[in-house]
Amino acid sequence: MSWTTKHKPKSVKEFVNQKEAVDIFLKWIKKWKPGDDALLFFGPPGTGKTSLLQAYANEHNIDFIEMNASDWRSAAQIQEVLGQSMLQTSLFRRSKLFLIDEIDGIAGREDLGGVGAIIKIIKETKFPVVLTANNAYDQKLRSLREHCELVQFKKIHVYDIERKLKEICENEGINYDELVLRGLAKISSGDLRAAINDLEAISHGKEKITIEDLDSLGSRERETSIFDIMKIIFKTENILTAKTSINNSDKDPDEIFWWIENNIINEYEKPEEIAKAFDMLSKADLFRSRISSAENWKLKGYMIDMMTGGVAVSKREMYRKFSRYQYPSNIALLGRTKADRKDMKELLGRLSKQFHCSSRKLKTHYLPFIKIMMKNKGTRGQLISSFQLTRDEIDLLK
Amino acid sequence: MDQIVWSEKYRPSKLSDVINQKHVVERLKVFVKEKNIPHMLFAGPAGTGKTTSALALAQELYGKEWRHNVLEKNASDERGIEVIRNDIKNFARTKAMTNVPYRLIILDEADALTNDAQNALRRTMENYANICRFILICNYSSKIIEPIQSRCAVFRFRTLIESDMKKFVERIVECEKLKISEDGIKAVIEISEGDMRKVANLLQASATLKEKITEDAVYDVASKAKPTDVKDMLDLALKGKFVDARKKLQDLILKQGLAGSDIIAEIHRQIYSLDVSEEKKVSLIEKIGEYEFRLSMGGNDLVQLEALLAQFLLFGKK
Repeated sequence: MSWTTKHKPKSVKEFVNQKEAVDIFLKWIKKWKPGDDALLFFGPPGTGKTSLLQAYANEHNIDFIEMNASDWRSAAQIQEVLGQSMLQTSLFRRSKLFLIDEIDGIAGREDLGGVGAIIKIIKETKFPVVLTANNAYDQKLRSLREHCELVQFKKIHVYDIERKLKEICENEGINYDELVLRGLAKISSGDLRAAINDLEAISHGKEKITIEDLDSLGSRERETSIFDIMKIIFKTENILTAKTSINNSDKDPDEIFWWIENNIINEYEKPEEIAKAFDMLSKADLFRSRISSAENWKLKGYMIDMMTGGVAVSKREMYRKFSRYQYPSNIALLGRTKADRKDMKELLGRLSKQFHCSSRKLKTHYLPFIKIMMKNKGTRGQLISSFQLTRDEIDLLK
Repeated sequence: MDQIVWSEKYRPSKLSDVINQKHVVERLKVFVKEKNIPHMLFAGPAGTGKTTSALALAQELYGKEWRHNVLEKNASDERGIEVIRNDIKNFARTKAMTNVPYRLIILDEADALTNDAQNALRRTMENYANICRFILICNYSSKIIEPIQSRCAVFRFRTLIESDMKKFVERIVECEKLKISEDGIKAVIEISEGDMRKVANLLQASATLKEKITEDAVYDVASKAKPTDVKDMLDLALKGKFVDARKKLQDLILKQGLAGSDIIAEIHRQIYSLDVSEEKKVSLIEKIGEYEFRLSMGGNDLVQLEALLAQFLLFGKK
């Protein structure tokens, strides 16, 4: 048995790091009932997405069923594999927990039905379902995100990795040099699984590991962190450097696009630069839209050139300053406002029939006036009873 | 139940009450009398009575049972032509319950359909021609493909003239026993730009705020009802405060859920009153047109509008 399997946490308590994610998960699974949203775990490899579920299932003695989405080719196949087991309660009424791994690897585009089939399963399943993705913001998962709560798994801290390695060494009776463990933890860049694999490799058949053993490790191809990519794009004046910066990233160009979009104003200061950089993104965006509408994947190269090189050359000269690059704010905002937007959509949908117009028109032509009318006590009461507004909906009309 | 919102309360339910569009109404009345209607296309600006006429026609044609014989759909709300076709299929399966041999399908905002969707719709119209009649409603008939136009009797609704608008205002004023000044009436008419829906909304919102409706009160409501955020956003960008302007934009799109094309239309309306030279306004209008074009090419609302907003940085006072 490999060490990664042998030393997996047996209960949620043993779980290293990821406190935020663990809290969301525990809260979700306690309250879960059929019809609820699924969870979508995302984050770099080796950060415990699967282990958390295994630990929970083990602790609560429930069936844990794991599947990999990249194996499926069509909607029908997904239905076939999942449909039965998710809809039926098992013979001994044991509860189940489902994991669909690597959802971003799902074959085909949105309209081939793969994503649709997953959404259908989320709506109908009798058991909780968790999805994982390396990149949760993949375009093709757009409609799926509406049915999921997103849970981010962060890279595991060097210190936590070191502690876990120490624990394993003591368990396996291996003498170690503290520096070796720190080195392993550092090389792993936050990937606990990689660190444990490396540890197992260098301690094979040995009782003591030393700093020299580290040299024998082949270097794993490591991704460039998104912050490094930002630094390269915003600081370089060479378009090829800017373009190739994203080659070793675990994030796909669509997500990097939003990182650039959000950080232009953190780097550039002159109005001309800001205007030019956003214009470059606007052009990259047009290529992106042509890629998805005409399925012309060759255009991806142009999109990437415009968003990396184009933005890079929008500055007059490099800023010699430290910029704090931030997580895309629109994605964060979309997450926070999801519930409100859903409520608003429902309200508009209901009212649009009474007003004989589309939701969109209702929003622009009526809503501003209705909001004013709501300020008058008498009219407010009439509107509330006539539209049968709930308390949440009344808040939306403030 | 009584309608609370005046735009619905004062929506005419009889063809003869439809204001202004005599040329249209006369012909529609003949159709009702003969109980024989063709497919129809109603085109014209917002708030001129297209939907109202379609609904009034339905009520006169079918009487009390009209709701059972009419399918009302809005093209811009439906997820795709397939959904619309399915609904139509289900609706058309049962026959009309009156002595009118057709059931009626009203498809509002039909110009929201893509060309492909319109072609699909055309086939549906043909398939059910013996049991269903369509009224398609749109702002511009040019956005409807020719094969559909040629199958329809096309009716153009005219922009309302001032005297017609005044008639409508006075009707509401009388029924609701409003106190309103002459200036107030003028302001309502001016702001509404020929849109009856806006007349009703403006009057009602003003009446809920003020005992007596004056010119000031009307303008006050109009400015409150406008997405002031758009004006603020542009002012911020012109002052060079791009970070704040961008926040406002994200709020409009992501939180309030406004469509990019609606925001860009509002930006266009606001241009004329901005505090920049006339020459700069023209340059800005060119930019607005450019990014609206990119939006129409499938660009992302947020990205394209941000890029436009960034252009405003270049035209502000230093």
